[in-house]
Amino acid sequence: MSAASPAIGRSNLHRFLSGYGQEIVVLLSIVALFIVVGAVNPRFLSDNNINSIFAGNAYIAIAAIGMSMIIMAGHIDVSVGALIGVIATIAGTLAVAGYPVWIAWTVPILFAIMVNAGVGALVAYTRIPSIVVTLGMLSILKGGLITATAGEWISGMPVEFMIAQMRPFGIPSAVWFMVGLTIVAALFMRYTDFGRAIYAVGGNMEAARAAGINPERTVVGVFALHGFFAGVAGILFATQLQVIQSTVPPNLELTVITASVIGGVSILGGTGTVIGSTLAAILFACIGSALIFLNVSAYWLRAVLGLMILATVLADMARRRRAR
Amino acid sequence: MKKMTLGAILALGLFSGTALAQSAWTGGDDLPTSPLACDGTPAAAVSVPYDGGAPTNPPDRNGKKITVVDVPKLIGIGYFNATTKGILDAAAELGNVDAKTDGPTKANIDEQITFLDNYITSGVDGILFAANDPVAIAPVLKKALEKGINVVGYDANSTPDARQWFVNQAQFNGIAKALVDQMATEVGGEGGVAIVTSTFTTPNQARWIAEMAAYAAACHPKLKWLETVEAQEDNNLSFNQATTLINKYGDELKGIWGMTSVATPASAEAVTQAKACGKIAVVGLATPNAMKPYVGADCVKSVVLWNPVDLGYAAMHVLRQVADGTLKPGATSVKAGKLGELQVINGSEILLGAPYVFNKDNINDFDF
Repeated sequence: MSAASPAIGRSNLHRFLSGYGQEIVVLLSIVALFIVVGAVNPRFLSDNNINSIFAGNAYIAIAAIGMSMIIMAGHIDVSVGALIGVIATIAGTLAVAGYPVWIAWTVPILFAIMVNAGVGALVAYTRIPSIVVTLGMLSILKGGLITATAGEWISGMPVEFMIAQMRPFGIPSAVWFMVGLTIVAALFMRYTDFGRAIYAVGGNMEAARAAGINPERTVVGVFALHGFFAGVAGILFATQLQVIQSTVPPNLELTVITASVIGGVSILGGTGTVIGSTLAAILFACIGSALIFLNVSAYWLRAVLGLMILATVLADMARRRRAR
Repeated sequence: MKKMTLGAILALGLFSGTALAQSAWTGGDDLPTSPLACDGTPAAAVSVPYDGGAPTNPPDRNGKKITVVDVPKLIGIGYFNATTKGILDAAAELGNVDAKTDGPTKANIDEQITFLDNYITSGVDGILFAANDPVAIAPVLKKALEKGINVVGYDANSTPDARQWFVNQAQFNGIAKALVDQMATEVGGEGGVAIVTSTFTTPNQARWIAEMAAYAAACHPKLKWLETVEAQEDNNLSFNQATTLINKYGDELKGIWGMTSVATPASAEAVTQAKACGKIAVVGLATPNAMKPYVGADCVKSVVLWNPVDLGYAAMHVLRQVADGTLKPGATSVKAGKLGELQVINGSEILLGAPYVFNKDNINDFDF
């Protein structure tokens, strides 16, 4: 992700296209779906449906921002789904116990940051591959959640706790969070030293060290940041419905990772943007809704996502070969 | 490659425009159905020979005080607290039973076997159980039968020869009838209805949907099935799927069935957030706790399941009569206190009866 040079005309456009190629593909796919499905059934374009498409996967988009950063830094986290489940349960428990809502919102986020900073420290200093550490974390969080809740659901949260159901200016708050956090994260990745250090560490760790970056501290930092985004996602997940399910949503971590990859984050680290992963999460919601509107079995969603992952990874490989 | 991704999505959109009209309801299985009569007359009992086990040389327990231990899948959760309540209610009513519940704190078959083994050694007259695994629990139950102990199961069966009787809480056609009848009542007998299920291949859900289609075709032909959507066991996905159904069908959609205890509250939430309470009915299988917010807010009128208190109550009555020797192999019905006459099915099972419908008046009496 090189900064655009001040060149003008064709080469500038070309540079822009190659820098944001995957994001543009995903965006065009969303537009194409709206046009095609809207033509088949105009109700697809109703305010309600567009709202639910954007709000429905907002928490996945937010979790995918952090996941994108992790993958850009050359790592992976397969425990994010379980973490979101745990955060939702902690938040719900605090809210039902009568704590002020701001405590019920912030304490679980701090917890997520701490847990993931710990994971990051293990990954950075012991050199255990992140997939192994986070697989372990996945079991700990899933097992801990079932043991702690005994499978009981949480209900009876106060109305003011339900932040995901609020609609400032008529737009679901989850959408505000998704857009706001994506913009902040995109600027952060592009214009701060830490953001650039993430790319550098993911691209080539030793080169980054030679350039004066502390790769270990960067990895701990990026995991902690990922914890923040997972925390916000968990709060939105917890406040969408009036009951919180004590089981972890199946395959949530895969959906989040898929959003990052289809959004153009290279699985080899070093490149990608958080805008792409947010667009990809919206695209999933769009496809899911479109399948129902077009009377296509939901089985197709999985098949389509699988095809898209393969196509994206192949495209990434091809780009890298050309660049070499 | 980018063009290919785009192309694939476009192609999907175009191809799928021509959806096939299906006669049966999607999400049901292909097994034969046996819909109940519209007015609820029990089907003529098909005589299946008794296939349960028998205790070896039991002492004469007729009318004598007996000690009974109940070992459910696990203790400490609302559902089995409710079955225990039923067991204790029945024991108090009978007056000659000393009953207690004990068991593992996790649904773990190994621990459950240890508990049963210990109680067999310490000497009890009767065992009630809800099996964590139908096959793995069989040897220890057979050991109890060999020691002359009376064994009756409820909620989750063992292999039939490892116990004497099993109290079956609900059959597929009974649940299906209750779900369809409730929906028909709430939507006024006609209108478009849709289903939110876990996956099309989940065995229980597929069986229920197939039975619902058969029963609706016979008894409520004006209910128009629109679509079945999958939502796995995922709260938020269920909510998104139900919301999309509401957006897609608009006024055509009069009701949604939730087929799992995840899908039903999520569908109710979707209807609530779409401000369609009263316009779109939600009927489904769910536990009372998950549905209390929606039943309390008058958005959902009925939740279908069985009553675990009645289930424990019936199991205790059955065990007493087995111990007394009044319930013998070949019986076609059994009297279970206030529940009245219960039907014997499948050789050695006793059917609890029609499913229980939770509504605003009774849902707060339950905690599971």
